[in-house]
Amino acid sequence: MKRLEKTAHRVGGLRNLAFFTTLAVLGVLGLLDLYVVDSLIPPSSYVYIFLIATGICYGVYPLWSARRLTTYYWRRTSKHRLALAGLVFIGLLVLIAIIGPFFTQDPTRVDFKEKNLPPVGFTVQQSIFDMSTGKFTTREIPGTLSHPLGTDDKGRDMLAMLVSGARVSLQVGFLATLVAVLIGAVLGVSSAYAGGWIDNVLMRFTDIMMTFPFFLLLVFIVFLFGPSLSFIILAIGLTGWTGVARLVRSEALSLRTRDFIVAAKGLGASSTRIIFRHLIPNVMSPIIVIATLSIPGVILAEAALSFIGLGDPSSTSWGIILNAGQSSLDTAWWIAVEPGVILFLTVLAFNFLGDGLRDAFDPRSQL
Amino acid sequence: MRRLLTIISALTLAVITITGCTAGESPRQVRGVFIYGTSAGDAETLNWIMAADSASFGYAGLTIESLATYDNNWQVVLRHLAKPVEVSSDGLVYTITIRDDLWWTGGIKVTAEDYVYTLKNLMFSDWLNYTYKSDWQEEVDGKTVFVEPKVVNETTFTITRRTVDPEFLDNAIYGLTPYPKHIARKYEGDIKAFTQAEEFNNLTYTGNLGPYKFKEWIRNDKFVVSRNPDYYLGKETGAPFFEEYINKLLGTPAAVHAAMEAGDITYTGIDPDQVARFQRMPNIKVYTIPTRGYQLISYNQRKNGWEGLRDKRVRQALSMCLDKQSIIENIMFGFGEPAFSFIPRPSPWYTDEGVMKFGIGQLYSKEKAKQMLFEAGYGTKQPDGSIQVRDKDGKPLKLIIVTNTGVKDREQTAYYVKQELGSIGIEVEIKLVPWATELRQYLMNKVPNSNQEPRFNNGPDAVSEEKWDLIVIGLSTHPIAPSGTAVFFTTDGGLNFWGSSNTRIDELFTKVKSKEALSVEARKQMYAEISRIIAEDQPANFLFFPAANPAFQSNVRGIEPGMRIGWNYHMWYFAER
Amino acid sequence: MRAYIIRRLIYAAIIAWGVVTATFILLQLSPNSPADRYLASMSARGSDPAQVIAAIESRYGVNRPILVQYGEYMTNLVRGDWGWSLSTSMPVMELIKKHWIYSFQLILLSSIFAAILGIAIGVYSAIRQYSKIDYIATFFSFIGVSLPNFWLGIMLILVFSVQLGWFKTYYDTSLPIFSLANLKALVLPVITLGTGMMAGYTRYVRSSVLDNLRKDFVRTARAKGLPERRVIGKHVLRNAMLPIFTILMFDLGSIVFGGAYLTEVIFGIPGLGRISFNAVFANDYPVVITITLIGALVVLITNLVTDIAYTWLDPRVRYE
Repeated sequence: MKRLEKTAHRVGGLRNLAFFTTLAVLGVLGLLDLYVVDSLIPPSSYVYIFLIATGICYGVYPLWSARRLTTYYWRRTSKHRLALAGLVFIGLLVLIAIIGPFFTQDPTRVDFKEKNLPPVGFTVQQSIFDMSTGKFTTREIPGTLSHPLGTDDKGRDMLAMLVSGARVSLQVGFLATLVAVLIGAVLGVSSAYAGGWIDNVLMRFTDIMMTFPFFLLLVFIVFLFGPSLSFIILAIGLTGWTGVARLVRSEALSLRTRDFIVAAKGLGASSTRIIFRHLIPNVMSPIIVIATLSIPGVILAEAALSFIGLGDPSSTSWGIILNAGQSSLDTAWWIAVEPGVILFLTVLAFNFLGDGLRDAFDPRSQL
Repeated sequence: MRRLLTIISALTLAVITITGCTAGESPRQVRGVFIYGTSAGDAETLNWIMAADSASFGYAGLTIESLATYDNNWQVVLRHLAKPVEVSSDGLVYTITIRDDLWWTGGIKVTAEDYVYTLKNLMFSDWLNYTYKSDWQEEVDGKTVFVEPKVVNETTFTITRRTVDPEFLDNAIYGLTPYPKHIARKYEGDIKAFTQAEEFNNLTYTGNLGPYKFKEWIRNDKFVVSRNPDYYLGKETGAPFFEEYINKLLGTPAAVHAAMEAGDITYTGIDPDQVARFQRMPNIKVYTIPTRGYQLISYNQRKNGWEGLRDKRVRQALSMCLDKQSIIENIMFGFGEPAFSFIPRPSPWYTDEGVMKFGIGQLYSKEKAKQMLFEAGYGTKQPDGSIQVRDKDGKPLKLIIVTNTGVKDREQTAYYVKQELGSIGIEVEIKLVPWATELRQYLMNKVPNSNQEPRFNNGPDAVSEEKWDLIVIGLSTHPIAPSGTAVFFTTDGGLNFWGSSNTRIDELFTKVKSKEALSVEARKQMYAEISRIIAEDQPANFLFFPAANPAFQSNVRGIEPGMRIGWNYHMWYFAER
Repeated sequence: MRAYIIRRLIYAAIIAWGVVTATFILLQLSPNSPADRYLASMSARGSDPAQVIAAIESRYGVNRPILVQYGEYMTNLVRGDWGWSLSTSMPVMELIKKHWIYSFQLILLSSIFAAILGIAIGVYSAIRQYSKIDYIATFFSFIGVSLPNFWLGIMLILVFSVQLGWFKTYYDTSLPIFSLANLKALVLPVITLGTGMMAGYTRYVRSSVLDNLRKDFVRTARAKGLPERRVIGKHVLRNAMLPIFTILMFDLGSIVFGGAYLTEVIFGIPGLGRISFNAVFANDYPVVITITLIGALVVLITNLVTDIAYTWLDPRVRYE
């Protein structure tokens, strides 16, 4: 028990210990997976567990243990009505993404007999040409309740695809942002804390990354190495961390000179402890804000990639559906309009929420 | 008196009728700017001998024509040729006579020297590395050599071969366009200087050789040529009749259709799902023409594909599961014709006598397919008599189908195949990859653990980097000279990436390039037999020849719809609106 | 001050060099090759793919050792020879010179559009914070940034160009740059791109104005009896302009790299965005590297100009 406490103390607290233990377990499982057994758990689950662990250790737990602070921030945020609306929407979306697929049809089920069905309540004309007569046979096709939002050009149910697309797009949003925030935060804090030439080199490196425009670099990487979803997530994360790094560094710099840090140093705390126990928790608020505000950019970036044909064609993200539909806007408008609308609303919701959080966390704004 | 009245009224009637007739016709005057809109890629260069993309040849071709072309019935139409090419009776010597009224810019006459120089010093050279130099090569005693061009006089030159190729005219000669020797000589041997040569990149030398002259080229935007008043065919006809011809590039197919609808472009191709809509527009005329391209599903007969595919019965069975008419209706909205071999119907070598037509009528039957799979050992009989399709080890069958992104109908075909094969119990996994990836990881192959360079056909033991069973791909055949397809369907064919092998087909393709084939009747028999054998052997499942839908603004006249609708584009004109 | 500028210029040169080197390395890591374009068509005529790849790569000069290529490119750069673009058959410099104006006019006009709207909305929502107007204005500015701009562009074309016929469906490059017709042709593209940029300006202006409203000098001005209009218009706004200027310069700097790529594709504008992306897709190394270099320099120089302008705009800022 005593030994446990001692290790905990070295890494800056029980919470950090729990986090690193989870990481270690994942690492071991991963190695086992690679070299010994065959697929214990699917690869995406690793990421989910990591995400959940981060969320609990650095998100939920601090909020729960600092009850008064949490309520204070909550009250400030909820004053911003649009932010609240955004939060509700996102909550609903996450819920739909998680349990929705169990209630909808199989989004990968192809049925060419039911292709290009309009949403229920609409009717479209479909014309098939007869080469021998040179004439069209036209028939009216109404929407049916069995496919309430219509079908795409291969007969896949739009509602099912949008729901599973929610999962993909949210995944991309959260994970890519996580990657970017992780890289940016670690870089920013270390740079600020270490100071001196390390700070200089890291910042120059960040500058170089910043002169590359985000989208071109992204296209560059995805084009070079292939459009698979996990790679796209990684690429977006790897190209988008510069803003986070800059922000975190400036926050950490101002913290570095604060009394409690100086005191901790004076009391003999190790660098790791200071970084993890004192610096990082205190830069959480701007990180949360910038993370929330980055998510819409990430989701739009993935949609833009799909638009130019660099999306992952085997995933059913909203961007892929939109791209497939944009050439048939005159004949099958719902295929592009539906994902466009839902993309828009999701991005809007995140923007509102992030804006509200920014106002809430900004001590200078009066609410 | 009466007689006078009758005469006068008859005359008046005649005058009215005649003026009425001529008033209805629009005079063929030079007017207007013709804009062809497309969302395909821009050309690479106007220095066409350095290019590999069709856009580059297309752009240059507006300013300088070749020796001959074909009309809608695939009859040869002479262009720079003064008279038809003379072929010696042994089929080895071709005598080409060009017109004597052709000149480069500056009044310098185009002579046979220019042609022979272009062939020998440019196309055959090592330093330039002409993309299509293999058109001029032949195999002699196991070695690859070039044909022998020679100047005879100012307007005549010969090309001598050592092996017979009855389709040499169509595959190489008719498309031949020369470079000006007096300019090319300055850059000879220096690839960098040649690539960047100002005259070649700005088409300043084209004289009277084409209907238009180069005006400007704004990359990714438009290629503009202006009317060439000196055009050698314009002397009698007054052609061309547009002041400018613009090749306009738009970013997306949707933008192209929008531009056509709004009247901002004159001519483009319409996607099958939009044709009905465009037909209804009063100011637009849409034609439907056959094409020479076809879509097919290749079966991987190499060692990294499902072993069943190496059994003819299995390939036939799989082809029996796909209803070609339904594919054409669902994917091409009816704009297409089922294919059973690589030769398109308008070709003189086409036949469907004795050709097995998998996928329609009798040969479309999922029940028969399952029966054939069972007989080949890939199924188990259930107690109720039905057949369950299984792999040889009793496990359910899983196949991988691959196609490239960016081509809608190929993607849809892949999904259709998944649906249909799924209905007989075969699970299909779809892999959509970018074209470059498909080329490198699925089409190219090499013998494993060797240090061969990857090629599209490294022999029967070569396999591709990634496993695959079916690939949906599009190919095309020259309707007059289908022998070029040998590269796909013979055992050693350089593009036979799926690894098919049939000795009879190999023999026939060799015969088609031999002395026997000089006789048109004989060649017809040979191609008929190739079609029959291929249709039966099913190295690939030929799906359909799609129809194209070129659309024009309704004030364009002179269009002759057909497979080669653009062959007389220099005679098109705008009617008065 | 002069020492500061010199230091920044040297630093810009170093960063630019770093950027070019990084691009070079990235390109070398690519499994794609410029020969890919030629592979299919040449092999269809019976050429040996291995030979094709060798021949084309030697034509491009990419089969030589990396250091040799790098050295050659660097020396050429210094001598003013920026290379020949093999995918468009023209000198790289000429390519950029001919096409930069299209991107520039688009981004300049869009930035001005976004800035004007953004300032108006931002100021208004700051002085009427948390009122209904604030929410509506916020909502409006956020719509712009949340709509995928390629989707908006297509919609605008369908409605205004095809259905209503007010505008041409694509951008016409034959229009002289400084003409009303050109301005009209840019209306839809500017709206598409500008609405996406608007929210940034709005939020900055809003928070900047809010910040300044609390400051003492505002209180003084109000105490002096100045009309609210003057207070906001003259005093607050001037201080709030600084971040606007930064964003404006940053946006302008992004033209080289194709910040407007999607808009350019949809409206058929042959700007630097399409040039740079097409160069990437065609593995046209000289163009990619040159554009990267120029882009980096442009960004660095605009940053420098912004920082220097700050000393003039905001007397409190000083560099040594």
